[in-house]
Amino acid sequence: MESNLRDSGQKSDQQTGQTESVEASGSPKYWLSLEQWRQDPEFKKMAEKEFLSSPLQNEEGQGGWARREFLKLMGASLALTSFGCVRRPAQKIVPYVNAPHEITPGLANYYASSWSDGNTGYGIVVTTREGRPIKIEGNPEHPANRGGMSARATAHILSLYDPDRLTAPRRHLFNEGRTNFESVSISWADMDQEVVEQLQKGGVAVLTSSLLSPSTQALVDDFSQAFGGRHYRWEPLSQEPVRAAAEACYGGASAVVPDYRLDRARLILSVGSDFLGSDPKAVSLSRQWAEGRKPGPEMSKVVVFESLMTLTGMNADERYRVKSSQYLHILMGLLHQIIVVQERSRYAGNAQVIRALQAYAGVARSLGLDTAKWAELASDLWANRGRSLVMASSAEGPDTQAIQVAANFLNSVLENDGKTIDYRNASPRAFQGSARDLKDLITGLEDGSVKTVIIHRSNPVFSLPSSAGLVEALRKAELVVYTGDRVEETGRLAHFMAPDHHSLENWGDGEFVAGVYSVQQPTIRPLYETRAFEDSLLNWSKASDRASLRLRQADSWYDFLRQYWRSEIYNRHRSVVGDADFESFWISLLQKGVFDTSRLARETEAPARNFNLNALQLAGRGQERSTDSDGFELVLYPTVGLADGSLANVSWLQEFPDPVTKICWDNYLSVSVKDAADLKLRQGQVVQLRVGDQGLEVPVHIQPGQVDGVVGLAVGYGRSHAGKVADGVGVNAYSLLAYKEGRCQYLALPVQIEKLGKQSALAVTQGHHSMEGRQIVVEATLAQFNKKPDANIYRHKIFSLWSEHKYPRHKWGMVVDLNTCTGCSACVIACQSENNVPVVGKRYVMQGRIMQWIRLDRYYVGEPEDATAVFMPMLCQHCDNAPCETVCPVLATVQSDEGTNDMIYNRCVGTRYCANNCPYKVRRFNWFNYAKDNFKAPLNQALNPDVTVRSRGVMEKCTFCIHRIKGAQQQARTENRTLKDGDVKSACQQACPTGAIVFGDLNDKESAVAKLFHEPRSYAVLEEFNIRPAVHYQTKIRNTDKLKGDSNKKEGQHA
Amino acid sequence: MIKRTPLVLGKKTYQDVTNDICSLVEKVPGPKFFASLISVKALFVFYLIVMGMIVARGMGLMGVNNPVNWGTDIITFVFWIGIGHAGTLISAVLFLFRQKWRTSIARTAEAMTVFAVMTAGLFPILHTGRPWLAFWLLPYPNQRGPLWVNFRSPLVWDVFAVSTYATVSLVFWYIGMIPDLATLRDRAKNKWRKRIYGALSLGWRGTGRNWNHYEMVYMLLAALSTPLVLSVHSIVSFDFAVSIIPGWHTTIFPPYFVAGAIFSGFAMVVTLMVIVRALVPEFKNYVTIGHMEAMNKIIMATGLMVGYAYGSEKFVAWYSGAPYEQYVFMNRAIGPYAWSYWLMVVCNVVIPQLFWLKSVRTSIPLMFVISIFVNIGMWFERYVIVVTSLHRDFLPSSWGMFHMTFFDFGALIGSFGMFLFLFLLYIRTLPAISISEVKPVLNVGHEGGENNA
Repeated sequence: MESNLRDSGQKSDQQTGQTESVEASGSPKYWLSLEQWRQDPEFKKMAEKEFLSSPLQNEEGQGGWARREFLKLMGASLALTSFGCVRRPAQKIVPYVNAPHEITPGLANYYASSWSDGNTGYGIVVTTREGRPIKIEGNPEHPANRGGMSARATAHILSLYDPDRLTAPRRHLFNEGRTNFESVSISWADMDQEVVEQLQKGGVAVLTSSLLSPSTQALVDDFSQAFGGRHYRWEPLSQEPVRAAAEACYGGASAVVPDYRLDRARLILSVGSDFLGSDPKAVSLSRQWAEGRKPGPEMSKVVVFESLMTLTGMNADERYRVKSSQYLHILMGLLHQIIVVQERSRYAGNAQVIRALQAYAGVARSLGLDTAKWAELASDLWANRGRSLVMASSAEGPDTQAIQVAANFLNSVLENDGKTIDYRNASPRAFQGSARDLKDLITGLEDGSVKTVIIHRSNPVFSLPSSAGLVEALRKAELVVYTGDRVEETGRLAHFMAPDHHSLENWGDGEFVAGVYSVQQPTIRPLYETRAFEDSLLNWSKASDRASLRLRQADSWYDFLRQYWRSEIYNRHRSVVGDADFESFWISLLQKGVFDTSRLARETEAPARNFNLNALQLAGRGQERSTDSDGFELVLYPTVGLADGSLANVSWLQEFPDPVTKICWDNYLSVSVKDAADLKLRQGQVVQLRVGDQGLEVPVHIQPGQVDGVVGLAVGYGRSHAGKVADGVGVNAYSLLAYKEGRCQYLALPVQIEKLGKQSALAVTQGHHSMEGRQIVVEATLAQFNKKPDANIYRHKIFSLWSEHKYPRHKWGMVVDLNTCTGCSACVIACQSENNVPVVGKRYVMQGRIMQWIRLDRYYVGEPEDATAVFMPMLCQHCDNAPCETVCPVLATVQSDEGTNDMIYNRCVGTRYCANNCPYKVRRFNWFNYAKDNFKAPLNQALNPDVTVRSRGVMEKCTFCIHRIKGAQQQARTENRTLKDGDVKSACQQACPTGAIVFGDLNDKESAVAKLFHEPRSYAVLEEFNIRPAVHYQTKIRNTDKLKGDSNKKEGQHA
Repeated sequence: MIKRTPLVLGKKTYQDVTNDICSLVEKVPGPKFFASLISVKALFVFYLIVMGMIVARGMGLMGVNNPVNWGTDIITFVFWIGIGHAGTLISAVLFLFRQKWRTSIARTAEAMTVFAVMTAGLFPILHTGRPWLAFWLLPYPNQRGPLWVNFRSPLVWDVFAVSTYATVSLVFWYIGMIPDLATLRDRAKNKWRKRIYGALSLGWRGTGRNWNHYEMVYMLLAALSTPLVLSVHSIVSFDFAVSIIPGWHTTIFPPYFVAGAIFSGFAMVVTLMVIVRALVPEFKNYVTIGHMEAMNKIIMATGLMVGYAYGSEKFVAWYSGAPYEQYVFMNRAIGPYAWSYWLMVVCNVVIPQLFWLKSVRTSIPLMFVISIFVNIGMWFERYVIVVTSLHRDFLPSSWGMFHMTFFDFGALIGSFGMFLFLFLLYIRTLPAISISEVKPVLNVGHEGGENNA
């Protein structure tokens, strides 16, 4: 504008100039007025400023720094200055041209889907924001988990955005011996061509884990058939002996791993079964267990015999330490006690039974157990027949099958079969891994009958010991295709890596419970150039003229899936579906995520199966082995966090404090207290393990409550090609497995331990394990509770000199039932995912800087050798009189009028005074800029946009999911209603498989939390400081005579 | 009549005093001094690098963690603040009590206060997570509401206490120096020197009015500083005492901290004076063995007070019946940090008892060693208070340990670099002994005065 004005100004100058020049030669040709013609000086002056209103000439005439000049120069210099130092690079944003109508920025979309991990699956709800999945929650409608989640299922979201995923198919440039590992990218079309060529040569093998998806199974079957191939199923940690034993005991039709019904049982006996911890079905089993644990006359009792310390043992009412090689003796001994000694059940007097049990007379004495208790246990089992449940270790060991037979027999004797053992509704697709398949595959590869191997959802090179010879066998295959989402140990030996979609990008389905069909729907368009495994199979099979009709008809995997559902599920269950057509059935399925055809069957009890006594011969074999081996027995076990190790590259799971040991970022040899003293082992000392010709160096962890003579080591660690997070963390314990004909032995491995002079620091998140006699976790026996519901709670007399805070509208509060908290730590990961909590790495965990907002405190009670434990999820207590608030100099943490203690990140200067003054030590400080490393693209896409990402130097802590509270309040306001109980659920509450966490408004007298808050069993931790926490805990009730903790409680201390 | 020991030795005349003290500033220092200056400067630069890295990367470089959220920074802050107290005590309290022996050490002690407070003041700023926002602790009108500071927080009281202390100490120190600065100005032969000292001496002409005002202001400032001796460390102790952490939440903390501060301050004065006496032999006539002995007596007395506080804490913990508190005090004595506790007791309570012997009290090497021990002991006293209380508080699940890292040691040792660098600069640029105050205590002009001979 300015320059325009100036131009015109100049023009006018020129014009006047011209006028003048004309004037010089006489009077003007054209004249405006007489004055002009006369060349009146007055007029001349006026003509000079032709535009009277223009400010330009007025000011220019004044000379020096006129306003405009100044502005011009200042503008130019400003422009130059800002041009010279660009503060922030320009970031272009482009709006949607056509906005997807289902996405409202700022609002989450939820998709019902399913998650499966080999043998178990859950119904999930995937939260997506602006088109990207950010959180996985449980689907409350799904019978498999009823909204509960495991830590791993929640953490699975992070693997979608894992930077180490393969982004496109790749081919390995193998040399002759296939000993090099360089790879190049290849197009899908080129790969398809080569694969199809090879497939047509026959000898096709598809190796997968158990496939819970009926349609994938159908596709694999059709594919195998098209190429005359075979489908091999194998997985580590298989439960094959359970199936085999069921087959031997009850006949071929029953060859499934049964579902257990802990909710129907009043007496639960576990012999080495970690049903609350590392069991694949722990989520549903925990829920059932919790249902039976309501304090009162119907409360169940859990008796556990085990060798390592597990969550199940820690939550047991009575726990006995036995070696893993003695499990069979326990079961057979109990059978002997019931049938032979106490002469009970219809088998009493049966000669065949007596003969089989004879060898187990006096087991209690020989194992050093209290014989009176033993007899009492047998009587209790009998007294609760039909309402008791025996579960035994399913981990493969020398006696596993015998153990399972004995357990089956005990259940049959106790008339539990069909009642607490639900064999009808067990998923027919789970636990199908077979040792024979593996053996056949390796033999086939070796003799050349298997030419092409397609490996899907299985990483056998990692999870098999070298003695299995798989690596050598795979090197003989003409073509190996690996469909894993990353290179992995197995993929390195594959010619082609044909990366599958992530399950959040892919269609699928699953049958996790018999007759309950779940659908898996993609929640995001594939991030990379990956292709569904099923699409790969479809593409390849079209080249074969033997492909089945449905293969040929299907355009894509999605098409195949729908066709399968139409013909195999929809059509077969018309009675359940009603009169809906397939399209509306499909839409409602996608909405609900699950199609349940077996509800009625699950609610009714099944008839007892007939036990085949001949199976007892299998159980008899155990007696040949001595009950006491001389050396140490090694038990290889999966942890709650990593399980088989397939999700090892998820940093949340690596930094997941093990619920039992509270160690993360490592595996370690757990050794009993006495053994450690005998061997003079220190915590963290490195030892050399030798099993056969295999050896490993691992640090030692001294584990209270572990049986002497048994050492434990977790599998799933020691990945070498999983990605930046997992590689080199821990050691690969699978390498120690004893392999024989496809079977891998996990239990009772003879092991030699040799001390090394080295020390390796373990990242322990809880360094002290005794409550020091303080009132932190309160325990009471059932008898004490029955007499006095607030037994063992010392209540302080509290008064205040000041008037209390007023909470006129809401007062948010929480109750945690320690009686049903198993310590599984699913809440920890749910919170981490919800609240963008970073991980800090092993080094900083050791320095005490773990960031998780919930700390699952675990305290041992009793003597160290025979300790048990109690758990307490410790999160910000949102105290009314919060000590953190008074000390913050800048008011960065303040009390809201709804009872939450709010942290104002951008006000925080980082004096950390609040963290010091927090008696619960639940505040977490950003020592570094964690966000920078943690949320590097593409991991930043997993962030929850509702929750601020904290910068360096600020304090953070549990917010009571304030963003959810505010979201629910807005929702209620839009719907013009008041907030009702259940509208707001905290992330931890949502994930808890047992419903131990209840959150809500304490001002609403009818809310669940308000009722629980004032129950006699509820108490506040550190109540005596009058800080009035908004979290109450409820006493843990043990259904036993005497609490172990009583022995080390100091007298006269209630603090 | 028994003659008093003269306060200045060497039979000095007024001229001698002026020459002795001014020559330090006027002459080019010797190689010994430059060697010392360069080495402390190197340490100071190292300190700046360490602190720079902490600011650039984050507090995580230091050993602090959860539960020990405060570490070396706060320990060293309290340590340096404590050091400062002796200076104020000597220059203000002893002035009000007309203790004439203070004159020759007051200036240097006061300088030590200023430098110690400067050194200390950096720590709470650098210890925050976002030091660039530390000014939010100041209540100033702002556009955020306005959002004020939390007046209930002891850290805010601390900001006031320390900044008041720093200001008053600096002003007191400076006002006291004005006549001497004028002397330097008058003696200056160089133009720039004349200008600088001229500006600093604020036009002092030595008139009766000048002296009258000067004496009045000096006394008023002394009176103003005196309560600060008690208040500053009391308020610093509130950082701990007002919290609910067992081991911190103690009513004895204010007097205990003040006694400890004077204790450590005097020890630091002794240390510095021994060094100064060694570097500048002429000082031996002004800072005599008598001075040193008097300070050692104070060290012994305050050491006993500190010892009493240690005992009292234990007794109260036992008597209170509060299990958390009992545990903390047991844990201090026999827990994983017992070494630091016993180191503290030995250094602060046992070793100063050697000062009961006059031979120890008057031996320069011995008092140097003992004063160093006291300094170490007092640093560890704060270490014990901060670390052992935090590392095991209420819930055993959150218990942890504190390990110092390279950066902790760097900050701790480097801070001495800053302090000593400032101190050495001071010795050579400002009159290190108050000329105007020393002259009146000479016996010049008194009948039978020794110095008159």
